[in-house]
Amino acid sequence: MTDLIFVALSFLAISGAIAMIVYANPMYSALGVLISMLSVAGMFALLNATFLFLVQIIVYAGAIMTLILFILMFLNIKEEDLPKEPKKYKLIALGAVIMLPLNILILKAVAKLPPKDFSITDSGFGDIKPIGMQLYTNWLLAFELISILLLVALIGSVVLAKKRKSKINNAGDNS
Amino acid sequence: MISLTSYAFVSMMLFSIGVIGVIARRNIFVIYMSIEMMLNGINLFLVTFARYHFNMDPQVITVMVIAIAAAEAAIFLSVIILLYRSRKSLDTDIFTTLTQGEKS
Repeated sequence: MTDLIFVALSFLAISGAIAMIVYANPMYSALGVLISMLSVAGMFALLNATFLFLVQIIVYAGAIMTLILFILMFLNIKEEDLPKEPKKYKLIALGAVIMLPLNILILKAVAKLPPKDFSITDSGFGDIKPIGMQLYTNWLLAFELISILLLVALIGSVVLAKKRKSKINNAGDNS
Repeated sequence: MISLTSYAFVSMMLFSIGVIGVIARRNIFVIYMSIEMMLNGINLFLVTFARYHFNMDPQVITVMVIAIAAAEAAIFLSVIILLYRSRKSLDTDIFTTLTQGEKS
């Protein structure tokens, strides 16, 4: 049963990612990414990471993808505004050729590791409590740095939004 | 039977497709989504090894990666809006006009 779910989730994840790079319209690409992220959330659940399963759905599929779709609809992009990509499939083939050796290397290295049981356990592994214990003891410095980074991103986006307003005003004054 | 290799295969596929998207596409939105896809593949790899070694640390790193992705989304999308407002284009070639000197 778990195997079947894994196969279905991996198929959906990879096909969503392929849909992202193939479609010309960014709206379809965003929907492909959404499918892929939800499938990865399902894999997190299969890997016993229950808290990350929730975080992936809430933050990635909920917040970030909604933000992207909102911006896409907000900009109201016309078909003729999209960049022309005549060499897309050639470049995709080139990228695949470039990435193939790295994939083979990593899969060979991983296949050499001794096999272990990947079934779902109910030992509390991956719950919010052990993650919180780790986060506030061993990873405290990184946690604080992350909070500073989020503050910088907040200020940065406010500054950028303000700059846009003054620019529009200047353009209005000049014309 | 699900093994370590199958999870590694899926995560490497996601990462590679992200790299290919950054190389091949010129739409700035699709490039952003490709970067997200690369982060997603790395997250899956980290969580797989967390389960493999029965260790909590990779999951903590994954939480941080997700936080950084959220911060990145805010900045990146505001920059995209600014560029689209001034140039009316989503082409990555507009970044060449950000260099000093040339004015179009």
